[in-house]
Amino acid sequence: MKTRIDSVEEITRSFAGQGYICSEQIALAIYLAAQLHKPVLVEGPPGVGKTELAKAAAAFLEAPLIRLQCYEGLDESRALYEWKYGKQLLYTQLLRDKLGGMLADTDSLEASMERLGDLGEAFYSDTFLEPRPLLHALRSDEPAVLLIDEIDKADQEFEAFLLELLSDFQISIPELGTVKARHQPLVLLTSNDQRELSDALKRRCLHLYIPYPTAELEAQIVATRVPDLDVRLREQLVAFIQHLREQDMKKLPAISETLDWARALVLLHADSLEHAQVADTLNLVLKTEQDVSLARELLPAWLRKLGKR
Amino acid sequence: MPTRRLSEFVQALRGAGLRISPDEASQAMDAAALVGYAQRQRFHDALALTLVKQQQDRSAFEETFARFFEAEDPRSDSPQDSASSMPSPAAQADPASAQTPEAQQAEALLASTPEQLQQRMAEAAAEMDFTQMEVITQQGIYTRRLLMNMGMGAVDDRVLQLDQGSPAQQARAEQLRHWRTRVREQAAAQVRRQFLLHGAGKGRALREQTLRAVPFRDLREFRDVQALVRKMARRLASLHQRRTKTSRRGMLDARRTMVASIRHDGVPAKLFWRRRPPRKTRVMVICDVSSSVSDAARFLLQFLYAMNDVLPRVRSFAFASRFDEITEDFARYSPEVAVGQVLDRLSGSGTDYAEMFRAFQARCERELDAHTTVIILGDARNNYLPDGAETLQAIRRRVKQVWWLNPESRSRWNSGDAVMDRYLPHCRLARQCATLNDLERVVDSLLGALD
Repeated sequence: MKTRIDSVEEITRSFAGQGYICSEQIALAIYLAAQLHKPVLVEGPPGVGKTELAKAAAAFLEAPLIRLQCYEGLDESRALYEWKYGKQLLYTQLLRDKLGGMLADTDSLEASMERLGDLGEAFYSDTFLEPRPLLHALRSDEPAVLLIDEIDKADQEFEAFLLELLSDFQISIPELGTVKARHQPLVLLTSNDQRELSDALKRRCLHLYIPYPTAELEAQIVATRVPDLDVRLREQLVAFIQHLREQDMKKLPAISETLDWARALVLLHADSLEHAQVADTLNLVLKTEQDVSLARELLPAWLRKLGKR
Repeated sequence: MPTRRLSEFVQALRGAGLRISPDEASQAMDAAALVGYAQRQRFHDALALTLVKQQQDRSAFEETFARFFEAEDPRSDSPQDSASSMPSPAAQADPASAQTPEAQQAEALLASTPEQLQQRMAEAAAEMDFTQMEVITQQGIYTRRLLMNMGMGAVDDRVLQLDQGSPAQQARAEQLRHWRTRVREQAAAQVRRQFLLHGAGKGRALREQTLRAVPFRDLREFRDVQALVRKMARRLASLHQRRTKTSRRGMLDARRTMVASIRHDGVPAKLFWRRRPPRKTRVMVICDVSSSVSDAARFLLQFLYAMNDVLPRVRSFAFASRFDEITEDFARYSPEVAVGQVLDRLSGSGTDYAEMFRAFQARCERELDAHTTVIILGDARNNYLPDGAETLQAIRRRVKQVWWLNPESRSRWNSGDAVMDRYLPHCRLARQCATLNDLERVVDSLLGALD
């Protein structure tokens, strides 16, 4: 992993090189997180590039990205580690004779127990440990970027369980003791605000809120990601998306949807937003029937207004 | 910028209602040290990243930041920097004409450089106890006291004295007035800063306490009550979310455990637990929105809909002269807007509870089941019409429980045309609900009873 970051600008530049165009605030968050060794909690509406940010950060820091997707019911055994029960059982089956032979010359129960006791450690050793993302991140040979995605979907208990990791970069495993990070990972948590996260978690993190991009930023993003799109059309497209975001929609269009639409328009060889074409491709941007019909109503007036300008 | 200035800023943020732990404050200092103060926007962003943990706090942060670092060069390194805004010595000191010791004192003060003046103000402020400041209206008194401590009283006298002298002296008095105004502005700014540091937080807490205990009827006047309602609802919601989650496990799922154990030669290596089915509780709220009760209805509905995460299935009804379902209004608009709409549509006087019970039964009878809680908010003032208690009893038989919230105090429940006594036997719980505190308690026990 890159250990020296000279400036915030360096991050912005590197992100831009990867096609991730971001506001200065986002770059600053990564800079501070890397310098202060603090996790970042990234919040914002869906589709504004929260997960992408982690990928870009990993590429910038030249570090592996380890991802943990959260969901309801996620527990330690899937997030941290698990014993390979099957392997353990298989080994005991196969070694049954051997064990019998080994214990044959002991005459009392206590002696057998003692001999087995020496062996017991073998069954709870690394051979039988199945590391999951969190343990991977802690034991990784080089510092990693750990992405804990959609933490709001996990249960509250899991959130509490993460606290030790987030503040001290260590985790306690009953059988192994405390595992300390070999190298402190850069931790990013994302949340869609499905539920309120606990104060304890927020306190340990830097808090980055990514809003929908401004028109200027969005135009830049489209220009980088879909370079084939005509300049004039790009401006029209971004202006229309921004207009839609001001409406009372059920699900507002995100950046990813803007990009999808831009790509579709390139495929269709469109050179301006004409009514018929827009109406036909609206379902790329808006995902519920209600929203699509609302947008259809808005469209003619908006296009007229645009024409006048 | 010394850390003291930053920790004062953190104090001011706490005053503005943000919750900032010492750890977060020290993070902010580290971050500020890292990015430097040269670029104001970046300095601002770094503080925001470390100190603002909820989007709701954003505006309070922006406001405090603007006020706290207003017109101040973030690079300046000394707390004395505001000396530059102090007036320079009033032109041509005139000690010759000052005969009395007071006048001499005034002249000495007038002759001081901005730095000296600033020093003097700081000393005067240090002698005062600003921690008693609780509300913003006290600023005037404190400013006056600060000026007196600085010895500005002597200047006031001197101005009066000069006013009576020669035209030249009168002109000088005019100058001195200007000078005095500028010092006064500085003193006011100093006091405002002190208020931000000490008073604002206490004032807010005090205000919150008051708001919670004020009857609903008088509450509408206050602007920030919406925010308070949301805050209370959020607190309750997160409290109960936790409770529902922990009460989830219990029974072993024997079938799944056995199936999984086949892999391991019949050893149940992994246990599966039966999950409780998601609860099917349903809440139906019937609100009297006639003029006497509408204020309470407004807050009850706002409260319930702010808790959407833990109470997903609320159906609401309102009645005054007419009865109607209002769930849709809340589904479509924000609670504040919806409440206004409903009140416009249905409010009026002449409540008839018997008619309301009948209408409710006719509309919802099919959906009433053992998971349903019916909450009625009303004063039970029936305009001397038949009370319809038997319909309420019929409803009661089909549901889990009926709750009655009455905005009036218990002693008035049966006075005049109120007939609470007729309804009480059919309610599992009846409470007075006249303030936000009452409301919070009711909703808390409602969530407790649903689990």
